[in-house]
Amino acid sequence: MTALDSVAAYQPATRRTVEEMAAPLGLSEMDVKLFRRFHGLREICVDPDTSLTDLLLSAAAGLDLSGREHRVRYVLWARAFPTVVPFPANPLHEVCRALGLGHALAFTLTQQSCASALQAIDLAGQLLAADAAGGDSAGDPHTGPLALVFTGEKAFTRDAQVLPGMSLFSEGASACLVSATGEQDRLLAYACSQRGEFDPAGGGTPERFQSEYRPLLAQVISQALERAGVALDELALILPHNVNLVTWQRMCRLIGFPPERVLLDNIASNGHVFCADAFLNYRTARERGLLTTGDRYLVATVGAGHGATFAAMVFQH
Amino acid sequence: MASPDTGVDAADTGVDAQFRQQVVQTACDLLILLLERDEPVTESMRLMDELMVSSLLGLELLLRLEEQLDIQIDVELMDQDKIVTVGDLATFVAGHSRPL
Repeated sequence: MTALDSVAAYQPATRRTVEEMAAPLGLSEMDVKLFRRFHGLREICVDPDTSLTDLLLSAAAGLDLSGREHRVRYVLWARAFPTVVPFPANPLHEVCRALGLGHALAFTLTQQSCASALQAIDLAGQLLAADAAGGDSAGDPHTGPLALVFTGEKAFTRDAQVLPGMSLFSEGASACLVSATGEQDRLLAYACSQRGEFDPAGGGTPERFQSEYRPLLAQVISQALERAGVALDELALILPHNVNLVTWQRMCRLIGFPPERVLLDNIASNGHVFCADAFLNYRTARERGLLTTGDRYLVATVGAGHGATFAAMVFQH
Repeated sequence: MASPDTGVDAADTGVDAQFRQQVVQTACDLLILLLERDEPVTESMRLMDELMVSSLLGLELLLRLEEQLDIQIDVELMDQDKIVTVGDLATFVAGHSRPL
């Protein structure tokens, strides 16, 4: 069963308040008030002097990779934007070389936008499981092959900085070692719903997306729980995507889950860190001792772009 | 019947009728402004289907109500699906807000 071996996350120290972002992003006074009052957004991380490669390497520095490089067979980079650097720059290859992972098969996933991170975890697990089924010795979590899943994004254009009326994006990255088996954080179930009807090119409207957003997220949460054989009230914690506060407060009412068991604190101080929210929130949960052995927790996210993806994973810690 | 904590049914929630009427009037005035309407807005009008108020515009309406009425609304308790008309919204606001 796919497991998370270790998780690290990084955000630049440089912060900007919502008010400071108003002029560069062309936000009105009302936009700023809405972000603060209802969306619970106070500040974001943005550092023009930090490159994408720097972000990924800083996240990887939080992992104990030393001496285990040879075990890393796959390196996946999940991110929201298909194009993030000009040709021929390739931050993922630079990172692999810097970390001594030049031997690994490295590729990027962007099809599910901010939900790509969960897809990457699932795919990493499938690749490792397929290797094991092919006769490889993947059974031992201490010696078996690993996949390294990165997330990381620069908010380098207006589209990458603001989701109008919903959220502000923040820079950050995460690095997560995935194994085919293990005890640390076992993946119990994954549910994902890709909805092409929200693509504006096909007639999708923001109004329809907003109105169906929470019911569709509730649906994948329910599917993931059902597949995991876990009841909603058995969850110790939900690690949300940091889109905004009011969305999650309303989600909690919709699904009947106590908001105090959803880790919402990072929304105000971190903003929405693209695909990295789940891992940043996981680190916060661990640092605060919010997860104890045996706890079941759920990670939920939505990716929006050309269409939308709603995704949820259930883990056991 | 609507759940009391959604504040949709004025009789059940025991909201201050006078304050609720003030919210209705303020909300109607604000909607005319926000929607740039020439026609009046009334308490029985449906927010989404009839007035085409989006989620985002709904939040802006709540923020402006807070500012104009000097109140803080418990938005986290709001169940959008059960707030259909301007009157439903006013009942919720009157029952789930406090003076600043």
